[in-house]
Amino acid sequence: MQSDVFRALADPTRRAVFEQLTRGEATVTELTRKFDVSQPAISQHLAALKAGGLVAVRRAGRFTYYRIKPAGLRPLVDWIEHYQAFWLGRMKKLKALLEEMEDD
Amino acid sequence: MTRSIVVDYDLPGSPAKVWRTLTEPELLAAWLMDNDIAPEVGHRFTFRSKPMGDWDGTVQCEVLAVEPQRLLRYSWRGGSAPNLLDSIVTWTLAPTATGTALHLEHSGFPDDHAGYPFMDRGWRDKAARIAELLATL
Repeated sequence: MQSDVFRALADPTRRAVFEQLTRGEATVTELTRKFDVSQPAISQHLAALKAGGLVAVRRAGRFTYYRIKPAGLRPLVDWIEHYQAFWLGRMKKLKALLEEMEDD
Repeated sequence: MTRSIVVDYDLPGSPAKVWRTLTEPELLAAWLMDNDIAPEVGHRFTFRSKPMGDWDGTVQCEVLAVEPQRLLRYSWRGGSAPNLLDSIVTWTLAPTATGTALHLEHSGFPDDHAGYPFMDRGWRDKAARIAELLATL
């Protein structure tokens, strides 16, 4: 389901790292410079994003580049569409119920 | 792309009447799901529905905020590990000339309500860029 994406993006710093990567691919060193967080912490955030299917890795020589995987956001979009339809349907039922109810 | 679902709906009936449909178990069950809700902060309750796929049909909730006839917020945890959806549902009511304007926000990120300034335009601009990328898939 959608939980991996949500878990991956639940942390504010991790979301910020993800956002930063929407500007283009970057190395751990470059990301560490942009955030007030240690290099191991950035690496951990990247690992979580990768586990959530939100980030992909490219190796070039001794550098590792991280970039976003837009397709990883699909479960988030599906979740939104699913619940939007669910709630709209229920609101219609609520309206019908209110029309049947006696006034206070 | 947004990170939370927002639904606005104009309803007949006063906020007092609509409030009852949100907080009285029998009335709430009539349009949503069987439940044991009580409008008290800290109250834990469960929505029960028919199981579907790998969902056991229950949603675990805890009341987080109550302002009678104005606002009701509870956590909304559905599914089962590892496919657990941890989210927050907030209902806001406002009187109108003909009844009540009901506003629902269902957020997939519990910490959105902790005041972290991530809801700003900056995120939306970036989200727009992500949406563009998504459209190219």
